[in-house]
Amino acid sequence: MRRSLTALLAAACLAVTSLGTAALAQDKYPSKPVKIIVPYAPGGATDIVARLVGEHMRQDLGQSFVVENKPGAFGIIAIEEMARAKPDGYTVMIGNVSTNAITPVLFPQKFKIAYDKDVVPVTRLVDIPEFMVATTKDFPPKTVKELIDHAKKNPGKVRYGSVGVGSYPHYDAALFAKRAGDLDMVAIHNKAGASGVINDLVSGDSQFAFLNVASTAAMIKAGNLRPLALVNHARLPDYPDVATMQELGYPGVGTIAWQGLFAPAGTPPEVLQILFDAAGKAMQAPAVQEAFKKQNFNIVPSKSLAEAKTWLADEMATWKKITSEVKIELAE
Amino acid sequence: MDLLANLGLGFAVALTPWNLLFAFIGAMIGTLIGVLPGIGPIATIAMLLPLTFHLEPTAGLIMLAGIFYGAQYGGSTSAILINLPGETSSVVTTLDGHQMAVQGRAGAALAVAALASFFAGCVATALIATFAPPLARLGQSFGSPEYFSLMLLGLIAAVVLAHGSVIKAVAMIVLGLLLGLIGTDGNTGGQRFTFGLNELADGLDVATLAIGLFGISEIIANLANREAHRDVVTKRITRLWPTPDDFRRAWPAVLRGTSLGAVLGVLPGGGATLSAFAAYALEKRVSDRPAMFGRGAVEGVAAPEAANNAGAQSSFIPMLTLGIPGNPVMALMIGALMIHGIQPGPQIMTDRPQMFWGMVASMWIGNLMLVIINLPLIGFWVQLLKVPYRFLYLAILMFCAIGVYSVNNSTAAVLIAALFGVAGFVFQRLACEPAPLILGFVLGPLMEENLRRALRVSGGDPTIFLTRPISLGLLIAAAILLLIVALPAIRSTREQAFQE
Repeated sequence: MRRSLTALLAAACLAVTSLGTAALAQDKYPSKPVKIIVPYAPGGATDIVARLVGEHMRQDLGQSFVVENKPGAFGIIAIEEMARAKPDGYTVMIGNVSTNAITPVLFPQKFKIAYDKDVVPVTRLVDIPEFMVATTKDFPPKTVKELIDHAKKNPGKVRYGSVGVGSYPHYDAALFAKRAGDLDMVAIHNKAGASGVINDLVSGDSQFAFLNVASTAAMIKAGNLRPLALVNHARLPDYPDVATMQELGYPGVGTIAWQGLFAPAGTPPEVLQILFDAAGKAMQAPAVQEAFKKQNFNIVPSKSLAEAKTWLADEMATWKKITSEVKIELAE
Repeated sequence: MDLLANLGLGFAVALTPWNLLFAFIGAMIGTLIGVLPGIGPIATIAMLLPLTFHLEPTAGLIMLAGIFYGAQYGGSTSAILINLPGETSSVVTTLDGHQMAVQGRAGAALAVAALASFFAGCVATALIATFAPPLARLGQSFGSPEYFSLMLLGLIAAVVLAHGSVIKAVAMIVLGLLLGLIGTDGNTGGQRFTFGLNELADGLDVATLAIGLFGISEIIANLANREAHRDVVTKRITRLWPTPDDFRRAWPAVLRGTSLGAVLGVLPGGGATLSAFAAYALEKRVSDRPAMFGRGAVEGVAAPEAANNAGAQSSFIPMLTLGIPGNPVMALMIGALMIHGIQPGPQIMTDRPQMFWGMVASMWIGNLMLVIINLPLIGFWVQLLKVPYRFLYLAILMFCAIGVYSVNNSTAAVLIAALFGVAGFVFQRLACEPAPLILGFVLGPLMEENLRRALRVSGGDPTIFLTRPISLGLLIAAAILLLIVALPAIRSTREQAFQE
């Protein structure tokens, strides 16, 4: 701690003295600490990924990567702060599918910047498998098929959990309902995030939900929740019996929530390349691999800066399609 | 039998020099950040989180827990000395604690607060050790109808808090409710009272509100009224230790506060804050001298301090046994555990007994350390009051600004706090209490959310609140309390008692 503090101070002094000589700073990036903006409060998955990856990028590049949490407005506050920063590579952001794909698709009018033009992806980092879980409290269905039959027999009675109107767990369930034959189900929103939804499931307020595997693992083990289906590229070794949505005949239903590194659009390509390489290296570090593996995160870095761009464009297109297929009414 | 064996195991883990050191570091940091207004345990734990990646999980957890309950101790210090709640849960402590300080009894107030916290912390830890699984199940049986009824009961109890007119108290609660509506509506995505500002899309933060309404407004009031604040500074501080009469009065209050706090702390969503308010309201109800409340009643310090510490301690129960964080600090702890691949949940006691019991044991050790750190510091804190106010208030303002900024790293929050500072001064002039406002602000949004969720669950049928036994019981309690407040006969005596 002390050593890193001294390093930080030293770096800060260096940065101040080299302010006048911009050329010096350009010679070798990074020559001062880099700020990683995280659009959530400390402690969530995105924050932890940022801190873990940042710590290993520091070891590689010799400068601190300081996480700054800027929660609020579905990520808009963080994205705008990053996009407006000097595009010199010293301000970047780690965002996820919600903040950096769904928010720009759903609320373009709330941005004071042009998301498509002002933000570039550096690399995808991880994506996170998701379960469709059902409560075991007063809820008989044990498979997706039974759930569909149950919902058909009890229109308007089956309740699914979500973390808010227009959140991806909401779209996941709504898209599932539509593809499974226009099932009539009720959304139960809980602002308290995944833990709030789990609480609702366990107490019986809601009956099924799409939630990431890591958050539900303990409750599944305890028998309070039952995984009905998995949303992932393939089955998980820890849960060999849980079939994926593709296998069950619902490809494209559910979100494999990703996280990625983003930068202001004007950042010089050579700086973006340094960030891309360092992030890629950090993802290879054994400690990072182990931490992600324990939580069933898939490590999926982009292959190049160009590939990261097409990936983000594809994601935005996918969400434009989903949000037009499932109309969720959002009050203005 | 099992319990003793488990505790033995726990102490064996907690008493290793390494873990003792981390308990001490945590308690020390916690006390310091608790004293500084606004710089709460959330920001501190977030900053120290990467450090725990390299620690053994138990040591990391022990340190983070120490910061959390250390902050509960420290928070009362600034509440008592300068009327500035370092933590939301110490808002209630300002009511009588600061009055005691004004009367030259700051030392007594600090000692009572520390001892009450210690007692409550120890008892609540024993509760965790014995009743963690059944208490966790109690939390699980709370669905949205139960929460709504509990919040309603809490709001009605808030009226009892005020020591001015009932009308003004109700007005402040309603104002708090309205402020709580600011932000995005969870059920429709609509923006309420945000005026198109993204900074308001997630609503106001309670720390921002509390620091503005209590801390900054107090500074304005002190500067506006030179004579009064001189009183605070130059009044002779006769003794540092509470009198035997203080102990006699504080003792039963501590017991009641501890039991309330331990139970309410188990519930997610502001358990510690709610329990402090509830304990104060209860004390005032059962007291033989309710008129003294708000004027330096020692039981008005002891009860909420015991309650918020017991609540802080028992909020570990849903976190450890269910993996459900009751407050943002617990969410951070889960984050710290997940980095090590540990998923808190019902299995944690059997899968990782060393960690679970080691942490429980470390809570006792930590609480003991906190008393040892805090009691000698009382003399020092009291000396701080002798610093000329023209220096003191600048320092306080600066810490307030840093604290408010650090909640969300937002400059808008600093401006909002300043605005509420002015509003708080106006309230003071109008003799309106800000404490009910804070409670309305905290409970209002939760109440709305749970009301609407319960009605969605029942398909719009309002009888859901009456057909669920726990919910019905809470509603009956609320009705009785409402009657007590509303009955004319009782009201007239109440007004007599609270004649200003």
